[in-house]
Amino acid sequence: MADTKEMKKVLFGPILDSNPIALQILGICSALAITTKLETALVMSLALTSVVAFSNLFISLIRNQIPSSVRIIIQMTIIASLVIVVDQILKAYSYEVSKQLSVFVGLIITNCIVMGRAEAYAMKSPPLMSFLDGIGNGLGYSFVLIIVGIIKELFGFGTILGFEILPLIQNGGWYQANGLLILPFSSFFLIGGLVWVIRTIRPEQVEPKE
Amino acid sequence: MSAKKESLGKTVGVVLAVCLVCSIIVSGAAVGLRDIQQTNAKKDKMSNILQAAGLLEQANGDILATYNEFVEQRFVDLSTGEFVEAPSDDYDMYKAAKEPDSSIKVENSNVGFQRRAEVASVYLVRDDAGDVSRVILPVHGSGLWDLMYGFLAVDSDGKTVRELIYYQQKETPGLGGEVQNPQWQAKWDGKKLYKDGDVALEVKKAAGEDNPYAVDALSGATLTSNGVNNTIQYWVGENGFGPFLKKQAWRS
Amino acid sequence: MGLKAYLEKIEPNFEPGGKYEKWYALYEAAATIFYTPGHVNKAGTHVRDSIDLKRIMIMVWMATFPAMFFGMYNIGFQAQEAIAAGAGTLPDTWQAGLFSALGGDLTNSGTLGLMFYGACFWLPIYAVTFAVGGFWEVLFASVRKHEVNEGFFVTSVLFALTLPATIPLWQVALGITFGVVIAKEIFGGTGRNFLNPALSGRAFLYFAYPAQISGDRVWVAADGYSGATSLSEGASGSLNYADTNAWMDAFMGFIPGSAGEVSALAIMLGGLFIIYMRIASWRIVAGVALGVAFFATLLNLIGSDTNPMFAMPAHWHFVVGGLAFGMFFMATDPVSASFTNQGKWAYGFFIGFMTVLIRVLNPAFPEGVMLAILFANLWAPLFDYFVAQSNIKRRIARVG
Repeated sequence: MADTKEMKKVLFGPILDSNPIALQILGICSALAITTKLETALVMSLALTSVVAFSNLFISLIRNQIPSSVRIIIQMTIIASLVIVVDQILKAYSYEVSKQLSVFVGLIITNCIVMGRAEAYAMKSPPLMSFLDGIGNGLGYSFVLIIVGIIKELFGFGTILGFEILPLIQNGGWYQANGLLILPFSSFFLIGGLVWVIRTIRPEQVEPKE
Repeated sequence: MSAKKESLGKTVGVVLAVCLVCSIIVSGAAVGLRDIQQTNAKKDKMSNILQAAGLLEQANGDILATYNEFVEQRFVDLSTGEFVEAPSDDYDMYKAAKEPDSSIKVENSNVGFQRRAEVASVYLVRDDAGDVSRVILPVHGSGLWDLMYGFLAVDSDGKTVRELIYYQQKETPGLGGEVQNPQWQAKWDGKKLYKDGDVALEVKKAAGEDNPYAVDALSGATLTSNGVNNTIQYWVGENGFGPFLKKQAWRS
Repeated sequence: MGLKAYLEKIEPNFEPGGKYEKWYALYEAAATIFYTPGHVNKAGTHVRDSIDLKRIMIMVWMATFPAMFFGMYNIGFQAQEAIAAGAGTLPDTWQAGLFSALGGDLTNSGTLGLMFYGACFWLPIYAVTFAVGGFWEVLFASVRKHEVNEGFFVTSVLFALTLPATIPLWQVALGITFGVVIAKEIFGGTGRNFLNPALSGRAFLYFAYPAQISGDRVWVAADGYSGATSLSEGASGSLNYADTNAWMDAFMGFIPGSAGEVSALAIMLGGLFIIYMRIASWRIVAGVALGVAFFATLLNLIGSDTNPMFAMPAHWHFVVGGLAFGMFFMATDPVSASFTNQGKWAYGFFIGFMTVLIRVLNPAFPEGVMLAILFANLWAPLFDYFVAQSNIKRRIARVG
């Protein structure tokens, strides 16, 4: 059994040291599309984290039974089932948000982070560690989504989670909403900026010059 | 990988087992949660209707009860303007518009869709005394990027607009997306649909607050504003709810 | 003591190890305004000629003067027209206040007075652009230990000339920040940016604050007046293409629009100057003209019942909107354009084609020059690549 230090590394490492979005540049597509409001970003983070964690757990549990010739298909089946379950639960208990997330919950299936962790970690690690690894990577993903979501909602709509922080001119306040941040592609700039900041704090992440 | 795992029987067995377990979980979730999901979808539509009815604040979260108390869904044959029985239990005018049997072609209008249903659903809003206070008409038409769906609430006189609420649109945020801005929505209250029997209400630039036949266009969103204009002109005109609004069947 | 001697005397302070070594960038920038630098460029993609970068940039800067001064005059002229027609009032802003405080009276102003009114609006925009953009330039130059690049001289004036007179100054600051930092500095500064920084800054504002930079209320510095640009008039079908007087007005520049883009004539004067000086590439300009003429004529022939823009003839396309300005000053930016001669033709043609495509066929954007040039910037290296490849193939075939 792994010691607590190892567990901590698996759990918190992906937030800064090996962030799936900022270092490995995985799972960008959904990060672009659903971060317009913090609420959707939060729900998406939660959905993805639970999918990664449980797909890692289940795949790790049966990793010794999975024939390697069909392992990708089996991983896909498990991930797809989890995604459908999550989607159904969202539709039932968080209808408004699931309407805004539309197809992006379904697209978690193709999110590289999930497949990547299943193939790279869960296939060769014990269940508990795999589960923690899933949560850790989910946290890393959430970390980026939440920061981007806060920036986009605050400066794009003047609100945080729907509460007015910067009163808009249209509603008699002073703040002029930034329309660029409402558009999905502005996440490119924000994530790019975030990568810049992270690599300034952690210079070892900078790729060597070719 | 050991050879043991690779035998054909084992591979098929594992695949089957995984598929079985997964399908049970997925169908279990789908069936178990279906009721809640359908209620949600209905509630969502109801809250849009209540907003058009001006009752959303009064409902204060209790959407189902408020809706059941004040709102009644009826069906209208658009060509005659008379109420008819519901064509089917779960009739959807947007689905019906796709069937040649239950729809007619849209002509002489650039409202943005090809066919509309022969029978439309309308929502009658009653006040505490039980009299009809507003009639809510579902309207849709093209904006800049895609069709925009909304509810037009007309006063019980059949001539005066109370609300125009868009609930589904993909216009540019900040420009055309402002069709959902409460301040712009407020401009519709009190506008008159007809002048001497013809559709007169239009969306145009610099319309002025006092002009009862025009609503200010959204600034910077000419094409969205034109789309709203076309939508209103079509739906309250002869080919839309015009006959219904003239006959005022809700009074009898 | 002469200036040169003085500069040489203080230079050691700014060299590595000196008292003010951190400020070397500033010293270098100031000193080379007066004297040619003592060292030559050792690397960098912008070395194309023996003429040094600073002289190039100052010439481009001067080439914008006709458009700039006419633009300021036109801001005053449009406002005077609007107020005289009773369609607008003197805006309640400090710019108009400054104008009045200095003794200006818009209703009785002559040419100079009108230009002064325009200057009250446009010079603050330019000043903010210069100060904020300059701040970022110096910051990056100091941190990265390179020199302040003179390219910013041009970037700032081009950026300021593409903005409407009524734009809030804080948006100007944000726009130039985006242009300098995101479009240029993070890619390594002048010579390494693949997008035109001035246009990137403008594109940022265009998407972030569309209400302040597009539509029909922003172009004339008079309150309550909406003066549509000729392009949106064209899109709504109210422009009469047969009216030669209207065309002359548009050619001379008596139309609402951004300060620098209204007068095709003034832009052409400056543009021909930099082409004559071999700074701007005539191939790019000709390519753009060809692309516009070709595609506009094609669309004229196709025709459309519902879209009046189809009918806009090519000679109208050149005088309305920002096409003339983009063609002469933005597309010819040597850093973000193609380098090879054939590549320049293709790059220019592509811009002309895309401009008309966006103007006519895209309902969301009335103007297409900005997006067309930024899009073509992305393609520029590809054009060069194909030209280089075909040259290599030809040589292999020849040598055997």
